[in-house]
Parts: sequence; structure tokens; C-alpha cells
Amino acid sequence: MDRRKFIKNSSLASSLFLVPSFVNAFSQMVTSETGYKRLVIIQLSGGNDGLNTLVPFRNDDYYRARPTIGLKKEGLINLDNELGLHSSLRPLKDLYDQGYLTIINNVGYPNPNRSHFRATDIWQTASDSNQYLQTGWIGRYLDHFNQKPDAAIELDESLSLALKGDKLNGMAIKNPALLYKTTQDPYLKNVSKHYQDNHLNEHNLGYLYKTLIDTKSSARYIYETSKTYSSSIDYPKHDFSKQLKTTAQFINSGLNTKVYYASLTGFDTHIYQLNKHKRLLKVYADGMKAFVKDLQSKDSFKDTLILTFSEFGRRVNQNSGNGTDHGSANTLFVIGGDLKKPGVYNNLASLSDLDNNGDMKFEIDFRTIYATVLKKWLHVNDQVILNKPFEPLDFI
Amino acid sequence: MKKEHIQHLYWRAGFGINPKAMQSLLDKSRKSVVDLLFYESSNYIPLKIDTPEFDTLTFEEFNETKKIHRAYIEKSKLKVKELNHEWIHKMSFSNETLREKMTLFWANHFVCQDRFILYIQKFNNTLRQNALGNFKDFVKAISKEPTMIDYLDLKQNRKNKPNENFARELFELFTLGVGNYSENDIKESAKAFTGYNYNFEGDFVFNEKQHNYDFKHVFDKAGRYDGDDIIDIVLEQKQCARFICTKLYSYFVNSTLNQAHIEDMTDVFYSDYHIETVLKYMFTQDWFYSPEHIGTKIKSPVELIVGMSQIVPVTFKETEQVLGIQKMLGQILLYPPNVAGWKGGKNWIDSNTLMLRLKLPSALLSDGKIDTKVKGDFYDSFSKYYENRKGNTKIKASIDWDVFKTNYEEVEIEDLNNYLLQSPINKGTLNYLNRLSKTSKLDYCVQLMSIPEYQMC
Repeated sequence: MDRRKFIKNSSLASSLFLVPSFVNAFSQMVTSETGYKRLVIIQLSGGNDGLNTLVPFRNDDYYRARPTIGLKKEGLINLDNELGLHSSLRPLKDLYDQGYLTIINNVGYPNPNRSHFRATDIWQTASDSNQYLQTGWIGRYLDHFNQKPDAAIELDESLSLALKGDKLNGMAIKNPALLYKTTQDPYLKNVSKHYQDNHLNEHNLGYLYKTLIDTKSSARYIYETSKTYSSSIDYPKHDFSKQLKTTAQFINSGLNTKVYYASLTGFDTHIYQLNKHKRLLKVYADGMKAFVKDLQSKDSFKDTLILTFSEFGRRVNQNSGNGTDHGSANTLFVIGGDLKKPGVYNNLASLSDLDNNGDMKFEIDFRTIYATVLKKWLHVNDQVILNKPFEPLDFI
Repeated sequence: MKKEHIQHLYWRAGFGINPKAMQSLLDKSRKSVVDLLFYESSNYIPLKIDTPEFDTLTFEEFNETKKIHRAYIEKSKLKVKELNHEWIHKMSFSNETLREKMTLFWANHFVCQDRFILYIQKFNNTLRQNALGNFKDFVKAISKEPTMIDYLDLKQNRKNKPNENFARELFELFTLGVGNYSENDIKESAKAFTGYNYNFEGDFVFNEKQHNYDFKHVFDKAGRYDGDDIIDIVLEQKQCARFICTKLYSYFVNSTLNQAHIEDMTDVFYSDYHIETVLKYMFTQDWFYSPEHIGTKIKSPVELIVGMSQIVPVTFKETEQVLGIQKMLGQILLYPPNVAGWKGGKNWIDSNTLMLRLKLPSALLSDGKIDTKVKGDFYDSFSKYYENRKGNTKIKASIDWDVFKTNYEEVEIEDLNNYLLQSPINKGTLNYLNRLSKTSKLDYCVQLMSIPEYQMC
């Protein structure tokens, strides 16, 4: 029996008979099996200031543009005598040293939009700057290649556009036990059992029923599977770490979810940026440290790829409030145990040759990164999802 | 006016209507029902909570030491939660139905957040006061609210160092919509909004020293504009009326847009930007009552919570619980996700929120239990599920079933769904409902409120 078939049959069996010991055996088989690739996407919401995350400390333009919020060389973690990581990102330096981190600079898209919402939608739907799509790129991945809603999970109470497809949505789950319990209400089970419709997704009411039916079956599978693993790693106390901890629990228990989506918010640093940014990066880096350790403890790190992005970078020049306004091109982190090109992937764009808004020019379209991940990591046809061809990169 | 149409009107322009209140409207014309709806909302009654510790507070006292300042902020944050609770209560029990619905609508248009109670309360009442008034006055008033000045960094927008945040959102979210202005329009308009500030009491202060008196080049015009001038210029564009009418149509009629109907609304609204006029126009059109619109909108969490109170009045006792419910449903009033507000529609729904939505009526009204007895059963075969529950935190609320009994007295139990549900019931679900024993109107009420159809309005 090939692996896909096995997983398909097993999840069906587990939802029918619900034998925990069977689920247990199943989960061990999956985690012991190598090659079940998972993608973890992390969104730093609000527009992370890439220039103060990865600092070109030998560039005078940088300090001229940021007289009070420019980070001094002494406080930075030197990477290659050109670029330095923010002092909060020590754990990332460790990953960098072990070859588990690829830093891709100048990621963006033509005619950048500087609205949070529009930019977030563009990143999440993988659209052009002037194109409005109603489905997310992970949602379309579900639509075309993975017919189950639990194939993509957002560790939140609500679902981002990224995970919304045309026919299928991913699931938003913060607490698998609670969700499972709710779906066991006898009356609601009866209602969902009796529902009759051949055109489930065509109108709003059909959408509610479809969500109810999907939730019921997925909640059981996720709950029964994930309770077979509990982490022994200490995570920092923060909602973001909690999202990562649950993700690690899902991955290490052998859940056949392919894509996880977590987020850390607060990066919209228009005023008094320094302390706020420092604190947020620390939350991010400390969380990642525990997460990677957790995955390594079950040998699942090598089959996990972690993508960290933000909807835009920030203006090169600081503003009058010791902060920065919305910019465009930004730095993106790829973390994983199986990277082909670890380290700094490409040089940071010029700080003197800016666009007419005073922002850095983009070099790599973010969709080439999606294309790379879809094609080389999830092994699906990226063009079907992205609606046009992008030349994949070689970091994986 | 037909029962179905009255219910539709009251669900969209308010939070629903009970059969008793509907009785006197049945023999009135559409026009007089709509007129009455506006008449009931002609009063403006502000939302005010008790804030003794802030009412006479001076700037000096507020900032005496860092510690005192922090303590006041913490107290204020609690007060903001209390305001949320009171707002839910006001919507549930106010007679100014339409004004409250419009206040809710505008709160998701002029989106703001503030931890200082006096400013956010003032802002909320500015929404309420202008909810049915003139849109031009409204935008100008909003641009001078302390909460807005803070939220979109107008204070940081100085003569020599403009901050574009407000100018961008003014065009993108408040008046024109994405793609109807240039980056240059934003940069130039930001200059016009320099000097905006407020005093500790929350009154608008125009700081002449910080205002940029240069020429500004905006939308092919040039002049020494200030903020109000920019708003005048923006509203001269028909696109502004179109943008607002599109939003109104999408909210009150259908998120699938009908451009012809929106264009008709735009013509009405553009003539004088009077909100009441365009709403009246919308509510009296035949197309507003077209079957494709009735019962096809997914209720927002607030519409769901407040709507329940129109059937069985619910008074929440604990502020934290009111906020907790809103949080789990994905909409906490006064705490928007971002300056674009809540997207609405299908975006409300995911696996979590849907389950909670279906459980909420029973959680509030029947201790979490939904009866599953079918005809001929003596006892509920699934009662075990409920017996095994423990540690469930109960929602503390007073439930007035007597009001339900009085208002629905004339309604036969078999007919109850026609008053509680706006959407036709799915065939399979209807078969299931028909098999239920239906011995108690109260139980059946909870059962009907627990099916997906109840989520529609």
C-alpha cells in the first residue's frame, strides 16, 4: 500500500471506529516514516521592519536614514561582516550556524501596496498588486491537491484568507479538545446527519452546513491523534509560543496536516519603535528556538519547513515619532533541517537607489518563494495554484 | 406590509422583531412602516457609563507620576470593557433600533480603538449622533476626534515631518476605496492635516504652529488647503458616494453587488450626502425585498447576540463574559482587528466560531441542553452527554422567558419557525425537526435557534 493510500484509509478508519490504540500505532508509523513534508507559515503582522531585523551595519546610508533608531554595530549579532541580526535574534544565529536558516532579502512584488489589509491580502492570496482574489494560496492548494480541511490548520480562533479556498477551507484550531467536545452535542450531530443538499458550497447556508459537517469529522481525527503526544520542551509564556507548541504537538503526533499557519502581531511600529520591536523579535526568536527543539526531539525537524514573512517592510527613512512608516520589499526567513542553500541567499538591495516613495526596490517576487515551496517541498504543480509560472529558487 | 417583509426590514435595519410588535405594522404601507422606523430613531440618546474617577481628572493629576498614570490607564481599560457591555445592552433594549444599527455599521467604517475611556466613549457617541445625519459633517467630526487623532497618528503628522497614516485611510477606507487616489494625493493631503491635536478634555485643538500652510496639489487641484478642505474636495467626487453606497448595499442588502441598484443609490446620496435620505430610498425599493436577499446574510456575532434578546431578553451580568463570548465569536466591539474592521459574511465562519454560534442559544437559554426527544419518546436518549459534563463555566445572565411567552402567545408552536428564522429550512433538517416531539414552545425555540438557519438574517 502506498503512503497516500495508507493515510487516507487510516484516517477513515480512525473516524469510524475511534480506537485510540490504533490511532497511536498509526501516529508512530507516520512519524517514523521519513519524507512526510510539512510547511509552517509564520506571519509577522503589521509590517516587520526588515532593516532593523537584519541590519546593514557597514552602510552609512542606513545610519543617515535612521539617526535615532538605527541599530549600532556593537549591539548586533554579526553574520558575515556586512549584515548583523538584531540582538533579540540570538536563537536564529544558532540556527544560522547549524545551516538551518536561509535569509532571503528584497522580497516583494511590482507596484507594492502599502495598506496593511491590501498587502496582507496580496501576500495571502498570491495576487498581483492590482488583482483582487477571494481565495488564499493555501486554500487553493486544498482545492486542487488535498481534499481535506484538516490538511491546513491555522493556530488561531479565526481563519485567515490564506487558508480559504473556493470549495475548501482550512481549519482554525486553538484548542483541539474543546473543539472536539463541542462537536459531540447530540442535537447538532443529528442536524448535520440529516442535512440534504447536493450543492453544498453554493450559498451562505450551504457553507454553514458544510463547515459543520467538516468540523465534526476533522475535530475527532485531530483530537484523537494529537493527544498521543505531549511536549516536554519548555516554551516561553506567550500566545505565539502556544501556537508553536500546539503545532509541534500536531506534527509530532503524526497528524497528516500538511500546512500550519501561525502569526505574531504588533509590528506596525509607527512610533517609539526600538523597545517594541526588540520585544517582539525576542518573542519570535525564543518561540522558534523551543519549536525547533521540540521538532528535533521527535526527528521531525528535517521534514519541516518554516517560512516567516511580513506583509511589507518599512520605510528606509525613520519618521518624526522615532518609528517607521509602511514600506515595501522585505527580508524573509526560511528555517528547516533540510536546506540546500543555508545562510544569506542574496545581497540586501541598495539603500541609495530607492523607489520614488523612499522604499527599497524588490528583487525577488514573493510568489517565486511560494512556487519553490509548492513544487519542491509539497510536490504539487505550483502553476495551478499561482495561476502563472514562476521560476523556482534553489534554497530547497 | 407583509409579515416576511417587515421581518426582513427589521432584521436588516435592526436586530429583528417579535410577532406582537409586528402586529400593528401589518396593515400599514411600506412607506409608513419605514417612516416609523426613522421616527423611532429621531432621538439621539448617548451611551454613557459612570466614570467618577475620570470626570474631574486633570492632566496634572493623570500624569503626577508614572505609577499613577499607569494605574489610571488600567482603570480606564476596565471602563472600556464596561462600555462594550453597556453598548451590547443598549442595542438589545434601545427603542432607537435603526440608529443603533447604523452606529454599529459606522463603527466598522470609521474604525478606531482607544484605551482611554472618555475619548472612546466620546467617539462612540459621535458615531451615534451622526449615524443618520450628513456624511460630510460626519467625516469632518471624525477627523477631529481624539481617538482618531491617536489611532491614525495625526499627532505625529507635523509640518516638517508628515505622517501619512490618516490621509491614506481617509481615502482608502473612509471615502474613496483602494485605487481611486495616488500616492501623491496621500502625501499632499497629509500636509493639510498637519496641526491636528486635542486637549486633555478631548476637545479638538488646531495647532497653527504645526500646520503646513503651503500649497497642496490634490486631485488636480491646488490651494492652501486644510483638513476640512480636503474632505470637501474628496466628497466632490462621485466615487465617494459610490464607495459608501456600495458598502451600504453590501451590508444591508447583499454582498453580491447589483451595480445598477448601487448606481441609483449613489445618485440619491451624491445630491446632498444625507445618510437618512439614501437609507430611506434603499428600504423602500422593491428590490430590497427581493427573495434573493431575504435570509441570505450571515449574522455578525453582535447581530446574533443582540438578535437573541429580541426573542428572549438576555441581560448579561458579567462584563468579562460578554467580552469572552464576543472574542470566541470573532468580534469584540471596541476592539477591531485593524483599521479595516471586520470583513463580515463568510469570514465570520470557521470551525470554531460556527460551533459556538450553534451552541450559544442553548448555553444562554437552557443550560447548554438542546432537547432531542422525538415524537413518542418518554425520555431523551442522549441525556447522558449532558450528565457527563462537568466544570462548564455557566454564563451569568438573567433570561426573561415571560417576555417570550407574552410576545409569542398568539403563535402556534408549528408556526414558530416562521417567526424565528429568516431563511427557508433545509429539507433534511426540516424532516428532522418534524420528528421532534414539540411539547414545549420554549424547548422548540431553543431547538430552532440551534440550527444553521438561525445564523442567517
